Amino acid sequence: MVIDLVRCVGCRACTVACKAENHTPPGVAYNVVMEEEAGEFPWVSRRFLSRPCMQCANSSCSTVCPTGATYHRPDGIVAVDYDRCIGCRYCIAACPYGARSFDYGENYAADLTPHERQPSPEYGQHRLRQPGRSPIGNVRKCTFCLHRIVNGLNPACAETCIGHAIHFGNLNDPDGRCLVHGENLPELLARRSHMRLKEEIGNEPSVYYLS
Amino acid sequence: MKIVGYSLLAGLSVAFCYAAGATFLGGHAAHNTTQHVPWGLWVAFYIFFLGLSAGSYLLSSLIYVFGVKRLAPAGPVALLQALGCLVLGGFLIVADLGHPGRGYLVLTSFNPSSVMAWMGIGYIAYVAIVVAQLWLVLRPGMVARMQTSRLYRLLILGQTRVDAATTARDHRWLMILGIIGIPVAIMVNAGVGSIFAVAKARPGWFSGLFPIVFLISALASGGALLAGLTATFSRLPPARRTPLVTDLIRFSFGILCFDALLLSSELLVTLYGGIPSEAAAWRMVLGGPFWWVFWFFQLGLGFVVPGLLIALPRTRASNDALGLAGLFIVIGIMGTRLNLVIPAQIRPVFEALPDAYHHARNALGYAPSGVEWALALGTVAVGFWMFLIAKKTLPLEEIAA
Repeated sequence: MVIDLVRCVGCRACTVACKAENHTPPGVAYNVVMEEEAGEFPWVSRRFLSRPCMQCANSSCSTVCPTGATYHRPDGIVAVDYDRCIGCRYCIAACPYGARSFDYGENYAADLTPHERQPSPEYGQHRLRQPGRSPIGNVRKCTFCLHRIVNGLNPACAETCIGHAIHFGNLNDPDGRCLVHGENLPELLARRSHMRLKEEIGNEPSVYYLS
Repeated sequence: MKIVGYSLLAGLSVAFCYAAGATFLGGHAAHNTTQHVPWGLWVAFYIFFLGLSAGSYLLSSLIYVFGVKRLAPAGPVALLQALGCLVLGGFLIVADLGHPGRGYLVLTSFNPSSVMAWMGIGYIAYVAIVVAQLWLVLRPGMVARMQTSRLYRLLILGQTRVDAATTARDHRWLMILGIIGIPVAIMVNAGVGSIFAVAKARPGWFSGLFPIVFLISALASGGALLAGLTATFSRLPPARRTPLVTDLIRFSFGILCFDALLLSSELLVTLYGGIPSEAAAWRMVLGGPFWWVFWFFQLGLGFVVPGLLIALPRTRASNDALGLAGLFIVIGIMGTRLNLVIPAQIRPVFEALPDAYHHARNALGYAPSGVEWALALGTVAVGFWMFLIAKKTLPLEEIAA
């Protein structure tokens, strides 16, 4: 994933699209937009940074998970096996990007909203949230909308981004194009200055930010 | 005084039942942990119990492995304390899981790269060793009483012979198990410290000193609790009891001084360096919302007061004062455990993260909920009940005498 910080306007459509797509409960958000204000009036600027899961190649979460419930798929996406996750939350403590959330079993309303009554399509499993059953009591995370990718669709955040700031595609392919907007991603990275978050930690995140 | 004590225990036990029901039936919704502070009060109490266990176990190995005879009367209680605290800590950490019923997966779906998974294996091995040693220690007493107790007839597993040969055999096995048990106990306790220490996302934890601090404070707390229990409940004659308590409390306080040295080094180096992400946890400990935990409990009640009780001429030979010093050290170590676990999580991994998504579970800070306090303190009460029952039913005293 490549996120163009110049194009991000901080509208949080990615957060909303993600919550709607994955039916995440209150307190659980896979993709959030962090804000930073720099400078003093009248030279003030506001910067936004969309933070999905970094899908690290050397992920701390999968290393520390005691049961191997968090694992790497061959395509590089870090996934969670809800039936093996014991809910110890070690991965939350270990994630340097705060990209994991525990499902406390809370709902938006005592009488569930129609949206909450729908199962989440995550992992193609269509689980309905019920007390005592996964994914309640599990740790949850962004999967780049795995259930959409395997069906030839793109992550909801990338699809919905109004500024075309979120690009998604195969960065290992020299001709890899953004599956949403068509740009050549390796070329984009070669042309623009870019960075990854907390590179010094050595997790090898798969999300690049263009600045 | 007795009535007050029993009333307190009864009240905490009721709270325990309520909190256990709320947790196992209702999940974690009643907890105040957040997405930034995923580990709260129960994890702090878990490592507290584990420390008490490892501390008293390692003390027992002074007796059973290294043959320190003057501590021998405290041996059975030390092993009992080691086992009881393991059970209590294990209960709390299982309760803290989002899916307690899946706890066994740590063993059956073992991930070799996870420190927590190794700790799970070590925990089981440690429990098995402590149970075996406790059985060996208690067997002669149970054999002596087996005519009057069906429970003892069951527990001695048909090993009814007690003579010089079986005693020598039991001592040999106690030593062998102790030799295996020492590294296992160290592995489990330092291993728990390593669970935190390897979390490089949290600069307040990410330190090679962390597992060592865990181990050292474990030794101090285990010895101190043993001193407190011996001073309060032992039926040894005062002429034997007070020197034993004195030995135990001096040992604990000496270890505590070493613990203070390690923590001071970590504190001063971190604050002098001043890297914001690393210094934040210590600043939180010293001046955050729970500053009183460090200044009053950890330093005042847990270090200065016991030091005075041990040093002052009027109190240093008093069984009650030294027992109280043991209790204070244990309370102080509880403060240490809280400050090891929670402040390092208070600072989010990105400063802007709590404002990125507004919800109570994404907010800054952490204060335990009523359910969390009730189960944690209730578990302490359950521990006391367990000890009182064990003291009444198990032949601890004849061996001690």
